[in-house]
Amino acid sequence: MAESGTGRASAHDLELVALTATGGRDAFGELIRRHGSAVRGLLRRMGADPALADDLAQDAFLAAFQQISDFRGEGTFQSWVKRIAARLYVRRWRREAKGQAVALLAMEEGVDAGEAQNDDRIDLDEALKSLSHVERLCVSLCYGAGLSHAEAAEALNAPLGTVKSHVKRGLDRLRRRLAPGRDFAPAEAEAHG
Amino acid sequence: MAERHFEVELGRMFAEAPALQDADLFALRVDERLSRGWTVRRLVIGGMGVAGGVIGGAQVLGGGLIARLGGAATDAGGQLTGKIVDVVENNLMPQSFPLNAEVVWLAAVVVAAVLAFAVTRVVREF
Repeated sequence: MAESGTGRASAHDLELVALTATGGRDAFGELIRRHGSAVRGLLRRMGADPALADDLAQDAFLAAFQQISDFRGEGTFQSWVKRIAARLYVRRWRREAKGQAVALLAMEEGVDAGEAQNDDRIDLDEALKSLSHVERLCVSLCYGAGLSHAEAAEALNAPLGTVKSHVKRGLDRLRRRLAPGRDFAPAEAEAHG
Repeated sequence: MAERHFEVELGRMFAEAPALQDADLFALRVDERLSRGWTVRRLVIGGMGVAGGVIGGAQVLGGGLIARLGGAATDAGGQLTGKIVDVVENNLMPQSFPLNAEVVWLAAVVVAAVLAFAVTRVVREF
């Protein structure tokens, strides 16, 4: 048993997915351990509070388990579950916002905290707080969950141009917060990679 | 160009998973919910099976099928059912138990159902 546990720990995600598809609950448990934090982290970055993020992440993994045969391995397992989780959060947000969702999406004002100083660079989680909720949602959907602008627009049931505007404004704000006074030259970007 | 590199950098930052202390607990909770789902599914399927069995059994008994089968077996001269009844009645059952062809056939159906259930369980486990 311990041996199979060790085997699972070193197995590739695709092997674990294949085992899960044949009913291997243990293999799926290993996938959750590997990617649970990433999915929960994305939901928090999208604007969900920790409790809601955990609930939705659980729902996303349950949905992934039920739909595991739909996973074709075209992307990573983590990105697949993140997309499921992101869509669940958007659905929830739209349901709670009800009629206000359209108005919120149409709003252009964010919470611009201004440009950070060179010596107080902050991390992504802090920087995301300077965005409006809708900007945060759009940026997270596109750069965190890997949705295209069109897919994000479809998920939000919003016009493509509106989503693009929110993403652009969000990126501008994030750039000012994350990299004040800096250009992301290729060499610098590589140094971060 | 700089914008593109910022977007790449942003994607990388998003890809960095936060270190959450309760990762194992989270996995455990999902597993519990999965187990709960399986339990409910088993109960529903089992309940439907029992209900179906009761309805089917009532229909079979009400239609007199077993009596006709028992009669046919007797009439055919095979005497198999009768011999089984004799053996079981004389060796396994208390004298007061009303054993006849219907009970034997019904027992055979129950045994077949139990075997079918066991086979499906074994197939699912392995």
